[in-house]
Amino acid sequence: MKTGFSVFLATFVALGASWCGFVLAPVLQLGGAKQTVILQTTDNWPLQRPGEATLGLQIYRANGCAACHTEQVRQTGVAFNLIVTSAGKNPDAVLKAISESEPNQSKYTEHVIGFPGVIFVGISKEQADATSDKITAAGGKVETDLTATGADIARGWGSRQCVAADYLYDQPVQLGSLRAGPDLSNIGVRAPDLNWQLRHLYAPKSVTPDSTMPSFKFLFEVRKIGDTPSPDALELPLEFAAADGYEIVPKPEAKQLAAYLLTLKANAPLYEAPFTPLTTAK
Amino acid sequence: MMSDENKSCSTPSSGEPTTTRSTAPMWIIVLTLVLLFVGGIYFDRHSGWFDAKVYAPYASAETLDAYQPQSGAAAVLAHGKKTYEAVCGICHGVDGLGKPGQAPPLAGSEWVNAKKFNRLAHIPLMGLAGSIQVAGKDWGLNMAAMGAALPDDDLAAVLTYIRNSWGNKAGEVIGDDIKKIRAQIGGNAQPMSADQLMKMPE
Ligand code: HEC
Ligand code: HEC
Repeated sequence: MKTGFSVFLATFVALGASWCGFVLAPVLQLGGAKQTVILQTTDNWPLQRPGEATLGLQIYRANGCAACHTEQVRQTGVAFNLIVTSAGKNPDAVLKAISESEPNQSKYTEHVIGFPGVIFVGISKEQADATSDKITAAGGKVETDLTATGADIARGWGSRQCVAADYLYDQPVQLGSLRAGPDLSNIGVRAPDLNWQLRHLYAPKSVTPDSTMPSFKFLFEVRKIGDTPSPDALELPLEFAAADGYEIVPKPEAKQLAAYLLTLKANAPLYEAPFTPLTTAK
Repeated sequence: MMSDENKSCSTPSSGEPTTTRSTAPMWIIVLTLVLLFVGGIYFDRHSGWFDAKVYAPYASAETLDAYQPQSGAAAVLAHGKKTYEAVCGICHGVDGLGKPGQAPPLAGSEWVNAKKFNRLAHIPLMGLAGSIQVAGKDWGLNMAAMGAALPDDDLAAVLTYIRNSWGNKAGEVIGDDIKKIRAQIGGNAQPMSADQLMKMPE
C-alpha cells in the first residue's frame, strides 16, 4: 500500500473535522452554560427540578416518549403589536398620526375610538418604531409588545422558541425529532393538572377521544379496594374504569413521570428569546 | 455477448487494479466553490457568529439587543447597571463585592438592603466619612458625594440596580423619591457619618 499514509491522513482529517464540528464546537459554544435571568425580573432561569421530576425524566426516556414527542418549539420570526395607552392632550393629532401610518400597515385593525387601544397587530420592528415615534411626537403614549411567530407558536405550543438555557438541568436532553404527538416543551403550562396527566397516561382516549397515543397502563396498578379507597386512585369515565371493587392506582413511576411533565415549561422571556408576556392584544 | 462478459470476468486481463494520480475534474472544483459560497451566506445569516445567546431569527448580538423590551423594570435595571458601572463600579466593583482598602461591598450590605432607602440615598447624595459597619466588618474610609451630580432618574436607577443585584433583594427606588430627599438635603453637602445616618429614618 503505497498510499497507506495518505489514506490514514485523509481518514484522520475527516473524522477529526466531524469531531470538531459535533463535539468541540458545541462544547466551546455552550459548555459553559449557566442559569440566566428572566427578563424584567431578577429571577433565575431555569430552576432545578424537584427530585421526583428528575426521576421522571428517566421514565420519559425509558418509555420512548421522545419517539413521538419533541421538546423544542421553533420560531421563524418576530412581530410587534402597538398599543396606544393614552392619547395625551391632543387626541386628534394622535388619530392623525395613526391614520397616516395606515398605508404601510398590512394588518391595521380598526380606528380606535377610545384609548388605551391596540392599533396595530403583527407589524415589523421598523414599522413599530416609525409609528410609535410618530404617535409619541403627537403627544400620545405607546407601548409595543414583542411576540414570536412561526407554525409552532401558532399551534399554541409556546410563546417563544426553546433555547439552550431551557435544557440546563435535562440529562439527557429529550429533544426528539418526530412529532406524532404535540410538542411537550410547555405541557406543564398547557395541562397543569396532575390528575389529567395521570388519566391521559393511563388511557389517552379517556381525555382525547381520537388519541392515537398508546396507553401506558403498565405504569399503573389495578388492585382491590381495601378498607379505604386510595386517595391516589384515578377517576376515569365508566368505560375506562376498573371493574367494581377495584381501583387504578399510579405506581411511583407514573407519578414521577407526571411530575416531570408538569415541570416542562419554556415560557419565561429571556434575553436570548425575548417576548412580551401577557400581551394586551388578546 | 454473455460468454464474452463471463470470460472477461473470470480471466482479468491486467492483474491487480492500481491507483494513479489524476487532477480533479473542473466541475467538482466549481461545485465545491459554489457550495462553500452558499454555506458562507447561510452561516452569515443564521450563525450569530457562534454567540451562545444568539438564535435565528436574530442575526447577531446587536440585532438581539435592539429587540430587547425597552420599557419596564428591565430597562430600569439595564440603565442602572450601565450608570453604576460607569460611576460607582470603579470602587465598589462591577460585582458589587467592594475592594479591600478602597470601598466596602454593596452585595449583602445591610445599608443597601434596608426596607426603606432614605439612609441609603443620603450616602451617594452627601458622601460618607468615618467608621461604618458593613456586613459585619468595620470600614473607616471616605466616600465623596458620588451620586450628587447624577440626575434623579439615573441615581434612582442605580439604587434600584444595587438593591436588586448580586443576591440583593429590596424594593425599587424612583426618581421622585430622590427628588424629595434632595430637597430635604438642600444646600447642606457635608459628608455624613454612619452615626448621623442611623439617627435619621430608615
Ligand atoms: C406512538 C406515539 C406516542 C408515544 C410513544 C407517546 N405519545 Fe404522547 N401523544 C401522542 C399523540 C398522537 C398525542 C395527541 C393525542 C392526545 O392528546 O392524546 C399525544 C399526546 C400527549 C400529551 C398531551 C399533549 C397535549 O398537548 O395535549 C402528553 C402530555 C403526552 N402525549 C405525553 C406522552 C408521554 C409522557 C409519553 C411517554 C410515556 C408519550 N406521550 C408517548 C403520541 C405518542
Ligand atoms: C471613589 C470610590 C467610590 C465611589 C466611586 C463610590 N463609592 Fe460608595 N463607598 C466608598 C467608600 C470608601 C465607602 C466607605 C466609606 C466609609 O468607610 O465611611 C463607600 C460606602 C458606600 C455605601 C455604604 C456602605 C456599603 O457598602 O453598603 C454605599 C451604599 C455606597 N458607598 C454606594 C455608592 C454608590 C451608589 C456609588 C455610585 C453613585 C458609590 N458608592 C460610588 C467609595 C466609593
